[in-house]
Amino acid sequence: MSRATPDLGREGLDRFVDAAPQPARSSLRLLVALERRPRGRRLLGRAHTIDQLANGLLAMGHYEDPANALPLGWDADAVAARGRALRREEGRP
Amino acid sequence: MSRRRESRVIEADVCVVGAGAGGAVAAAELAEGGMDVVVLEQGPHHDADRFSARPLDMLARLYRDGGQTTTLGTPPILLPLGRGLGGTTLVNSGTCFRTPAAVLERWQREFGLEALTEDALDPCFARVEGALSIAEVTPELAGRNAAVARRGAEALGWSYGYLRRNARGCVGSGVCAFGCPTSAKQHVGITYVPRAEAAEAQVIAGADVRHVLVERGAARGVEARLVGAGGGRLQVRAPRVIVACGTIHTPLLLARSGLGRASGQLGRNLALHPATGAFALMDEVVDMARGVPQSFYVDEFASEGIMFEGVAGPPSYVAMSLPLSGKRHAAAMASYRNLAMFGLMVSDRSRGSVRALAGRPVIRYELVEEDVARFRTGLRRMEELFRAAGAREVYLGLPGGVTPERARARDLKLMAFHPLGTARADARPGHGVVDGDLRLHGVQGVHVADGSVVPSSLGVNPQLTIMALATRLAFGLLGREVPHTHEEIPCPS
Repeated sequence: MSRATPDLGREGLDRFVDAAPQPARSSLRLLVALERRPRGRRLLGRAHTIDQLANGLLAMGHYEDPANALPLGWDADAVAARGRALRREEGRP
Repeated sequence: MSRRRESRVIEADVCVVGAGAGGAVAAAELAEGGMDVVVLEQGPHHDADRFSARPLDMLARLYRDGGQTTTLGTPPILLPLGRGLGGTTLVNSGTCFRTPAAVLERWQREFGLEALTEDALDPCFARVEGALSIAEVTPELAGRNAAVARRGAEALGWSYGYLRRNARGCVGSGVCAFGCPTSAKQHVGITYVPRAEAAEAQVIAGADVRHVLVERGAARGVEARLVGAGGGRLQVRAPRVIVACGTIHTPLLLARSGLGRASGQLGRNLALHPATGAFALMDEVVDMARGVPQSFYVDEFASEGIMFEGVAGPPSYVAMSLPLSGKRHAAAMASYRNLAMFGLMVSDRSRGSVRALAGRPVIRYELVEEDVARFRTGLRRMEELFRAAGAREVYLGLPGGVTPERARARDLKLMAFHPLGTARADARPGHGVVDGDLRLHGVQGVHVADGSVVPSSLGVNPQLTIMALATRLAFGLLGREVPHTHEEIPCPS
């Protein structure tokens, strides 16, 4: 995974973190901020569980982006569009 | 003065608080039975047109706290809860099990719930099953992720099967937990809630109920704050109140209303069905998100309290769940198309509690050694399952270097999806919050209809149990027998 977080993934991640309850929200913001910096990543690397959480958070944002999900065979827009079409065609709610 | 002008009062026969698995079912049955019903739901109505099939985006919109509700204890456990019309049925996997016979027998024996027999509940289950089009997933729709687990189970001679789900016209979008984009999942927000509305129930979203009103030992209604446009206060005057805010929030509402505390059990006895996931790197392309994520189970060890059920998701979901970091994480994600995933759920003996702190729930839950041992056994067998299916590598939810045999509570990476028991039913007022008919002990007209009344772990997904109990409650209030039917009940479009 590239450590650079594309904008769409970054926006999704920021919304996700914003939705967390306090005090978890502040902790997550700190983790994400650290994970986005080389020195921060080195620091997090000393604590396995926290490192995994931080890594997972950023990776979640990374693969939320269509540019990174499409090569893995996941096209969220197509799934959503098929859903909309089916609901319209069949009068689903 | 201005606040008073913003107040609104509604009269009804019944006020239902919460439009999830319990509340929506009770509301629809009562409204169709001729009662004047008001449903107050704290969360919003979700428009399926806005379901994006992107996990991060949908977590923030469909879940309480963005799906980041967490228990305090060792280990901390993520407890995602749905929010809105449909409650957690909006975001669950749709798996439906009837309450196991052994569990009902235990309820009769230990909690005095003698009326809750298999025979007595059969028409309730059948009615819900008809209403929600509950049927077994086909192997084709289950997808290749299920096929991997099936291959492993067959090689080992373990008992397995395809799960029964509340879905109609499912095409295997792979995102049940993030808002079904085809509305195939028959969650109560698109089934029972429209039925309630068609029967002239008033359904009000964005209504945060603050108190249940009781005078001289009898229900008088509820007070709510309206959130969103306009705001203001709402009072529903009703001689019957059904509290159905879910296992985490029902005890908080009852406690701040000064109700349900006589037994000392309110907010206690929290069971969760803690769960973890494991991944396998396969030679074949799995594309785990193509198909029904939770479509297959292995119940070989159900009698030991260990159940394996399918779980899967798009890359961003897997990226968060993979128990790896750094280059190993990146390498595994690069092979996403070859990854299989499966879940392990424990029927827990551990018990936790819920209480309010500054208006928010504080959930305490410590995993007892007996349950840690179940996870050790379960993880070992999960690895066995994947190896038997031909996995090249298996990634268990444990820190590097920790084998299942040596795992401690703090090593486990757990989630839980089935909170139960915080207002448990017990025929004896000194031992439970509600009785076998889900009436609050010591108060007339207040009932509870959600997972909080379920007095023990079920070992299986609880939504059907909650819906059946709500059906029984509604017909009890109507003074009628639940009709025997095995036919589909049409939902208004």
